[in-house]
Amino acid sequence: MKRLFSIALGILTAIGGFVDIGDIVANAETGARFGMSLAWVVIVGVVGICLFAEMAGRVATVSGRAVFDLVRERLGARVALVNLVASFFITFLTLAAEIGGVALAIELATSVNYLLWVPIVAFLVWLVIWRVKFGLMENAFGLLGLALVVAAVALWRLGPDWGGLLHAATHPVVPQGEGHPTWWFFGIALLGAAMTPYEVFFFSSGAVEEGWSRADLITNRLNVYIGFPLGGLLSLALMAGATLFLEPRGIEPGHLSQVALPTLLVLGKLGLAVLLVGFFAATFGAALETGLSCGYSIAQYFGFQWGKFVRPADAPRFHLIVLLSILAGAGLVLTTIDPVTVTEYSIVLSAAALPLTYFPILVVANDPDYMGDKVNSRLTNALGSVYLLLLLVVAVATIPLMILTKAGS
Amino acid sequence: MSGRVLEAGLHLLDRQLIDVDGRLAGKVDDLELELPPGGGPPVVTAILSGPGALSRRLGGRLGAWLEAAANRLRDGDEDRPARVSFAVVKRIESAVDLSVAKRELETNRLEAWTREHLIGHLPGAGDAPE
Repeated sequence: MKRLFSIALGILTAIGGFVDIGDIVANAETGARFGMSLAWVVIVGVVGICLFAEMAGRVATVSGRAVFDLVRERLGARVALVNLVASFFITFLTLAAEIGGVALAIELATSVNYLLWVPIVAFLVWLVIWRVKFGLMENAFGLLGLALVVAAVALWRLGPDWGGLLHAATHPVVPQGEGHPTWWFFGIALLGAAMTPYEVFFFSSGAVEEGWSRADLITNRLNVYIGFPLGGLLSLALMAGATLFLEPRGIEPGHLSQVALPTLLVLGKLGLAVLLVGFFAATFGAALETGLSCGYSIAQYFGFQWGKFVRPADAPRFHLIVLLSILAGAGLVLTTIDPVTVTEYSIVLSAAALPLTYFPILVVANDPDYMGDKVNSRLTNALGSVYLLLLLVVAVATIPLMILTKAGS
Repeated sequence: MSGRVLEAGLHLLDRQLIDVDGRLAGKVDDLELELPPGGGPPVVTAILSGPGALSRRLGGRLGAWLEAAANRLRDGDEDRPARVSFAVVKRIESAVDLSVAKRELETNRLEAWTREHLIGHLPGAGDAPE
């Protein structure tokens, strides 16, 4: 019974934890500009993150080594350092975007300018990481993030032409007036948002934080295979809402309030309030995950003590990195740079960096030295290899497409 | 009888060091080999760990900078990387387990410094995690 409860809790947490500022922005923008024609990318991204998060969780559970340990071990000191610099920079940008996202969600609820909330949000993010138990932290924000379901409820209440939406999703056509490069560029942004590297840094380090043993491998699998796809459905609900409400009106969401518009129009103020709670929890939870991941990646590269499973005084360098990252992230948002722009860059650069993270995971998940009898199955390897090829193509194409399309504008 | 054969690059370099209390204690950044005075094949005598050892593997300008920084932080007089004697290595698997506590290692200085001067001063730093 207790086991069942913990599995259910893990799945619910994974649903709420899947969506972050990157998913919110990417799905709403894509829906508003391209309708459902890029919905398939969300599915490709969800399958990809399931595949590699399960591998990373399994490696961490069996061997006790989290993702950046593997990066260092497989790529060697030099290449792994290049990887660390790139991964840390992207995770840091994402942290700044999440802090901005939390502040924007509070602005929507209070009408007080988001910049005033940034220092408070940053302090609270640090305080939660410093004081709150890992399990409680993860569950509380994951569960609260489920409030985003209200966006799906709004969509259902509206009773849209489901057949039409499905047809648009399964027969992708680049809309009139949009170029193919721009369409592909937004596709890449969606993929980057779904497969952001920090998700596996956090997921694998979390398995170590929570002291998972082989008995938890089933929990690992269920969290990933059920929780993430349901989180992906929430992303698609945001995309469909934008397709129905924003695309016909020619609105391009440059602000979180426009993403909330469909829910407000269908369910009124109460619906909006619930959605804002969801925005807050999803972005705050992701700020915690990215803040911790800044520390995890550097600590795991250099091998020094990390994690909330020891006293802060016993992982001083880890906590110093987390603290400085949060301060710098808040500082970046306080320059008044648009948080939505930071988000866009963080997910596109994520897409370009995906093979750096996922290649070492695939290699180590096949190493009996680490895995014993829990190495990848043939099917997992076949799928993993196909994805790695895909991610390589995406990585090569991202920067040229970004320049060609002037970052999708 | 032949035991398990290890390839240094594949099974030892860049692996995690774990001390006797299960705490993370740095990486295997490099290895020290010694030629026995009486002749014979060289033997592995120590694991080199920390920025001093890592810098030499990185090479280039960054490596030189890191090495200079590491030398400055060291309070000893010798410009050499921190050593973990191979005699305290208990087991080599996906990590390298040591038979001593981290505080006894010379690789622990930077962590101790950060604790004493920065993080240790914040309220709640010493509170148990769970």
